[in-house]
Amino acid sequence: MKSSHFLEISGLSMSFGGLEAVSNLNLQISEGEIFGLIGPNGAGKSTILNMIGGTLKPTSGKILFKGQDITGLPVHRKAMIGIGRLYQANILFNNFTLVENVLVALHMKIKFNLLKVLFQRRLLARQEKNLHERAANILETVGLIDIKDEVAVNLPHGQQRLLGLAIALAMEPALILLDEPVTGMAADEVEKMLDTTISLIKKFGMTCIIIEHNLRAVMSVCDRVAVVNFGCKIAEEETTKIFNHPKVIEAYLGGEDQCCWE
Amino acid sequence: MLKTTSLVWMMPAVFILLIPGAFGSIYWTSLFIMVLINILLTSSIRVIWLTGQISMGHAAFMMIGAYVSAILTIKAGFSFWLALPVSGLASGLVALVIGFPFLRVTGIYFSILTIMTSETLRHLAYSWTSMTGGKLGLSGIPNPGELTIPLLGTINFQGSSEYYYLTAVIVSVSLLILYLVEKSRYGLTSRAIKESSQLSGAVGINVLWYTVFNFVTACFFAGIAGSLFAHFQSLLTADSRSTFGIISTINFLLYMVIGGEKKFFGPAVGVAFVMVLTELSRTLQEYQSFFIGSLAILIVIKLPGGLIGIPQQIYSILKNTFVNTNAIHPPKSNPIERKL
Repeated sequence: MKSSHFLEISGLSMSFGGLEAVSNLNLQISEGEIFGLIGPNGAGKSTILNMIGGTLKPTSGKILFKGQDITGLPVHRKAMIGIGRLYQANILFNNFTLVENVLVALHMKIKFNLLKVLFQRRLLARQEKNLHERAANILETVGLIDIKDEVAVNLPHGQQRLLGLAIALAMEPALILLDEPVTGMAADEVEKMLDTTISLIKKFGMTCIIIEHNLRAVMSVCDRVAVVNFGCKIAEEETTKIFNHPKVIEAYLGGEDQCCWE
Repeated sequence: MLKTTSLVWMMPAVFILLIPGAFGSIYWTSLFIMVLINILLTSSIRVIWLTGQISMGHAAFMMIGAYVSAILTIKAGFSFWLALPVSGLASGLVALVIGFPFLRVTGIYFSILTIMTSETLRHLAYSWTSMTGGKLGLSGIPNPGELTIPLLGTINFQGSSEYYYLTAVIVSVSLLILYLVEKSRYGLTSRAIKESSQLSGAVGINVLWYTVFNFVTACFFAGIAGSLFAHFQSLLTADSRSTFGIISTINFLLYMVIGGEKKFFGPAVGVAFVMVLTELSRTLQEYQSFFIGSLAILIVIKLPGGLIGIPQQIYSILKNTFVNTNAIHPPKSNPIERKL
């Protein structure tokens, strides 16, 4: 049966030994939506993203992306069918310049093989030149063009986040997974980063799942939000209504019967 | 118009051409044949290193090439010209078969697996008496014989100078292929995998496929080098002190680090430097290994870019001494950089 949803997660569970990190998760995300995933630390949010776009293979359950079963697919295949990712930690090609970082991310935009490399070098050189321009464009949109020849590891944290975003955007994914895009950023950077991110996502018409602890950021950008705690989805609502949900209040502020000061 | 870059290219080429005439003895020509073969081996082990892996089994792939080429020419009546590419392909095929399971692990685990494979294959060659001659070795490997080349006429590759030129041509073509591959997107992809295999996968690079590709390419050229070695030596043995022992692989890695593993021509510089120095320091007798060893340690500590990095190192020292770097790169006043 072909699913009408862009991303459909059904009955997804993941256990590490005896620990059930995610249990029986169901989510439907439609195209063009910006979906927030929030919850306390260790709730299983990153595990969920890792199963959608990373290397984790769920214990049970199914993930359908544009009607295609992508459960347990190798990570480069997921990238090929259009899932891009910004990691929580700044994972970059550390000793590469910014341009090289983005050039590598444009890997899927060029077809090359041994024969072409040896005998059609002009053709490949022309294609590489186009990619170079494209990489410069991408760096310009995230505002890093002035330092494009800097080595990635030398950048301050905020700019490394932006570079991570540039890498994810360079792949032109249909679905982009942002794992705490504004983590560790100063207040003035947060706004800038969010503005850049959301305007670009809207411009390219991408669907997006955001994990974020900064609730104000979540409120300002997401269309819908799901709250996860102890591996279970405890609420899923439109952003404006989510914080009225009793279970959410309980998860974040503690319920009446679990007061810890007594 | 002659550019500086083409001059830089031509100087070693002319030097390589002049070697048999300049030294005029079979002894030196033979040494330089081994230098060329080792350059190919060291440059190819660097191809594996490009993806961040260290293969400790390169000598075994050279051995596969050598024995395949020798057995084909002795027992199956192949000519050298056919046995040469076949030996490369055989070596590459073995690498392809073991590459997929082996390269699922990385780092030290991959190195351990390749050491074990290397020694297992060497023992196989040492014990398989009917095929490889076992302990007695495989002797009577024919030389390439005559070849008619347009414009040059018929050349007999029996003499060591002729064999030297043959090796020089084959090694140069091999290095050219490796160079073009490295300067292409293959090189960028390999370096990206070395930097972060996780992110490489996430941007759509099939990490396993590309590491195996590099491994197979490297082993193909190790096989070619092995074939050149076999027809040069005309006698092959596979005991633990032969060229196919672990120590050879360690030597390749040593040449690579001394020459400078970051640059394509680092291995060539390293091989030429260490091998010629080893020959020249023979008079030191028992102190020779002490001398070479301490020099290697000194180079590794004092020259992080290896021998080939010396010009750049001098340049940056000069720049730091005479130019005030702060004047060129003023401290950035980017608001994003400002931290509490």
